[in-house]
Amino acid sequence: MPKKELKKYFEILEISPDSTILEIRNAYNRLKKLYSTDSVVISPIADEFSKKDRKEILQQVEEAFMKLMESLKGQPGSFQSYRRDLASEDDPSAEKTEEEPYSGSVLKQIREKRGIQLFEVSLDTKIRMELLESIEDEKFDSLPQEVYLKGHLTNYAIYLLLQPDKVTEDYIARYRAWKEEKKEES
Amino acid sequence: MDKLKEVKEGSIWAIGGGKGGTGKTFLTSSIGIFLAKAGKRVVLIDVDIGGANLHSFLGIDRPKKSLTNFFEMGIPLSRLAVKTGVDNMSLIMGDVHSLASDSIKFTQKLKLFRHITKLNKQYVIVDLGGGSHNNTIDTFLMADKRIAVLEPEIIAIENMYHFVKNALFRKIRMSLRAYGFKEIVEHMWEQREKYKIKSLKELIDSLKESFSYLGDILDKEIYDFKVYLVLNKIRSSQDILIGASMKSIFMKYLGINAQFAGYVEYDDAVWRSIRERRPLMLNYSLSRVAKEIGVFTENLLYEREMKISRS
Repeated sequence: MPKKELKKYFEILEISPDSTILEIRNAYNRLKKLYSTDSVVISPIADEFSKKDRKEILQQVEEAFMKLMESLKGQPGSFQSYRRDLASEDDPSAEKTEEEPYSGSVLKQIREKRGIQLFEVSLDTKIRMELLESIEDEKFDSLPQEVYLKGHLTNYAIYLLLQPDKVTEDYIARYRAWKEEKKEES
Repeated sequence: MDKLKEVKEGSIWAIGGGKGGTGKTFLTSSIGIFLAKAGKRVVLIDVDIGGANLHSFLGIDRPKKSLTNFFEMGIPLSRLAVKTGVDNMSLIMGDVHSLASDSIKFTQKLKLFRHITKLNKQYVIVDLGGGSHNNTIDTFLMADKRIAVLEPEIIAIENMYHFVKNALFRKIRMSLRAYGFKEIVEHMWEQREKYKIKSLKELIDSLKESFSYLGDILDKEIYDFKVYLVLNKIRSSQDILIGASMKSIFMKYLGINAQFAGYVEYDDAVWRSIRERRPLMLNYSLSRVAKEIGVFTENLLYEREMKISRS
């Protein structure tokens, strides 16, 4: 992608061109939230700053984010190469060995290395704080049914820029193992 | 204080924002003290129409001399400045009556601005008070640094939009007057229903559409119109986001370059220090509020922006 175009996308997201992936994502989340909700900063000018105007801005923000993300990938459309790129930069998940499954503590480690607070995950993904805590601490008995848990894990994985399939597969396996163990005990 | 190089030594800072009670006078006095303590020469000017009381925030008596003496008798500004009890910092009182009226002619205003500009190598901090009166807006526009103070609540935010839009509209009108377009702008705005113009942005857009060669002029006017936002009395870290959000809206909606200079948290020590007539910057200089004031003042000085690490 031409430099000039990239610069434009960074401008739309209101960040400098040397921003990290995390900063890009945060800017995207912040702007998406700002222009899609009727907040205290929007409502005083809502009558002249129409829904249509805001929709246009949201589209631009969306486009800028997608294009920037795409430009970070090795080959467009390939998630694997994107992950490789991430790893070559500062991808905390790169420090996880291939064999090690995505357990609660691994997820927590990755999140902390990305410098993300749990409440931010909760605000952005709408997953309750206690539930996130239970996921990370593997308090399996306070987790919801598998089908719901899968949904939450998928959202959390996407939020952390991880492969959702791999995360849910690993985590659910641990969850099932715990369930089996409990059954045997009783 | 940072060792960074300043853009230039001495400048005029105007502190407004539209709504009364957001802490403009408190912040004016605090910015002044911070700069003076850092060795800068500072003159505070109080032109708050609603109630000039900057002296109270400094714990001194109301000065007898005021800008009336300048307007009516031509006494130079330097002789109107009184001591404030803070080294390097003096105060010039505005006058409630002479400034509130429209009796000040444009030429008189220009004369005042010219004389303010002549206070060179000094930091002139002007407390505009609340409201969007023409005199207030004009003073805001003439400053080197335009600082708009707000608190994180809807009325202050609404007034701030109103204030900034008014200022921009006035700036555009003034500059288009030079190109002989003043009447057209005013006509379009007065007949805005007929032209289906709902907002300043739509006015600007339709001006650009009708007179394509105005595009560059308007873009430059808007681009040069820089405003610094200071968020006062915040009560949570979520409140800080309002500064970043308003910056974004100003840019995306009006194309205005607003910089979020910083924030000051709510603290009872502020009103306590005002009641005791002992400036917080001197008496509670180690408080968080004092530190936050220092941070945003340095940001203003070096034209930097508040770092927002994350949403």
